[in-house]
Amino acid sequence: MSTLLIHQLYAAFAPWLILSFLLLGRNPHLSQTRIIVSPLLALGLLLIPIAGWNGFAWSRDIEMNPSFTLTALLSIGLCKRIGGLSLLRSCDWKTACTFGSIAAIVLYPLGLGLTPFDSYPWGWEPLLPVITALIASALLLQGNRFGIILLLPLGGFFLHLQESHNFWDALVDPIYTGFALIAMIFMTTRAGIARFTSRQTPQSALPQS
Amino acid sequence: MPHFVRLILIAAAWGLCILVLHEERHALTTNAPAYKSPILPLDAKGTPPSPFYKEEFINYAQHIPMAHVASLAELPDGTLAAVWYGGSYEYWPDVTIYFATQTGGIWSSERPIMTLQQVEHDLGRPLKCPGNAVLMANPDGSLRLLFITIAMGKWSGSQMNSCLSRDVGATWSPVERLTLSPLFNFSELVRNRPIELQKQARSDNDWCVPLYQEFIGKFPELLWLKEDHGTLLSTKSRVVGGCATLQPSLVPLDAKRGVMLLRDYTENKRIFISRTENAGISWSKPVPTNLPNPDAGISGIRLSDGRLLVAFNNSVVAREKLSLAVSHDEGKSWKILVMLDNDPDSYSSYPFILRTSDGMLHIAYTYTGNAIKLVSFNEAWLVEQEAKITTP
Repeated sequence: MSTLLIHQLYAAFAPWLILSFLLLGRNPHLSQTRIIVSPLLALGLLLIPIAGWNGFAWSRDIEMNPSFTLTALLSIGLCKRIGGLSLLRSCDWKTACTFGSIAAIVLYPLGLGLTPFDSYPWGWEPLLPVITALIASALLLQGNRFGIILLLPLGGFFLHLQESHNFWDALVDPIYTGFALIAMIFMTTRAGIARFTSRQTPQSALPQS
Repeated sequence: MPHFVRLILIAAAWGLCILVLHEERHALTTNAPAYKSPILPLDAKGTPPSPFYKEEFINYAQHIPMAHVASLAELPDGTLAAVWYGGSYEYWPDVTIYFATQTGGIWSSERPIMTLQQVEHDLGRPLKCPGNAVLMANPDGSLRLLFITIAMGKWSGSQMNSCLSRDVGATWSPVERLTLSPLFNFSELVRNRPIELQKQARSDNDWCVPLYQEFIGKFPELLWLKEDHGTLLSTKSRVVGGCATLQPSLVPLDAKRGVMLLRDYTENKRIFISRTENAGISWSKPVPTNLPNPDAGISGIRLSDGRLLVAFNNSVVAREKLSLAVSHDEGKSWKILVMLDNDPDSYSSYPFILRTSDGMLHIAYTYTGNAIKLVSFNEAWLVEQEAKITTP
């Protein structure tokens, strides 16, 4: 199997998962037919040629290197949506969001030229895989299952499944980090509102003399 | 999660980490680069002692509406090779990268070497068009082509590609994509002359290529390429961030020191200069020179006596008055020598300077938008031009 084909097969996985998710809709009670049809329909839609290229090729035009973290999180999310199988707990998802947000803050502003310092070349050096192994170990020691997810970028990078030779691309991508940042902002805002209302509630509950 | 499972997974994490670190691609390092032989002797291979100057067109036919961004390279046998892109207009799908060689003073007819269809086929994805290209002549006689393709939008949506020819450009290896940017690999562009580095252990060819980004910011970078038994390894380093300068021209002064001349994107309308003392690992903050720049491409080189030569547009308003200037103090001050072209009906821009092993200087540039013109001269001609302006 050619290297290009391996890269294309891996890169096809994430858009198919995303489209399957979207086609499943938001209804919590999924019919058996919908569970079977949605992933097949997603595959069919992505195979329809538009201007001579199918949806997989168009998605490769934008993002050829979906991270292994994103692919794993999407797969786990789809398992939960379809089969109710919760491989990650709420605290694990929170860790995934925190990790993605921190990575986004470290990577993108510096990588896109905010400062004379660039963090993207770390991905070509031994530092980033070592940091990833350290974080994975720390999370696994605490029993956090996101630590298992972090093994996948190490394995996938070693197997050359991506077009990129930069470890950052194995670890994160703009789609994962974008969702992580939005989720973090949402969670922080919700926690802030909850804290604010909990402060307000005891005062209003004071007995009036 | 049971305790023993955690321990097994931790062991797996470190096992995978060791496997990743063991990979050959991590052998690439920019720890101790040095520019290779930046200084050529004045009369290498018998440069004519008398002033010599010649003008010619590389693309004789000029049958296409647009030809732009030429790049030159000298093959080990002395053959001069050129690439540029041409088509109906920038960003159009018919834009093609053309190639020509000069042997015995005569240019071959131009030949398309990279069409949109070919790149799309090799990379397996739809693209908008190819663009800027530079050539690197490896010591083993092979030619490496670095070129950009636009995925979407304009130049900010461009991505870097590479391919290799082992038969002087007759055939090229399948195109491979270089991933150089974290945000969808967008906006890594090449334009100016790559610099050969001193060969590192276990490598075939080592190059330092000036790059630039023009997506959210506009800033220069350096791409470090190492070819190891046919495998191309790449990394890059930042020169400066922000949104002020682009299209760097790297000029080595010796093995470790160098200057970088930069196109200005600000209201300064000046060529900027930055310096390195460690062969490009770190750079000083760019400062403006006394040379104007109308947001246009520039190209610089070091002459055999240590002077620096730059080709630039001597204007702050338009890509006109393509001129040469020299510096006797490593870029601190510049003296404008001569105007190469000033066609009032069109523009002359995007110069690319190359010094060949016979001591000749060649400047390829875009002329009237649809021609690639080549000016060749020796250092004696430059001395004569300088004498003209200093002698009343």
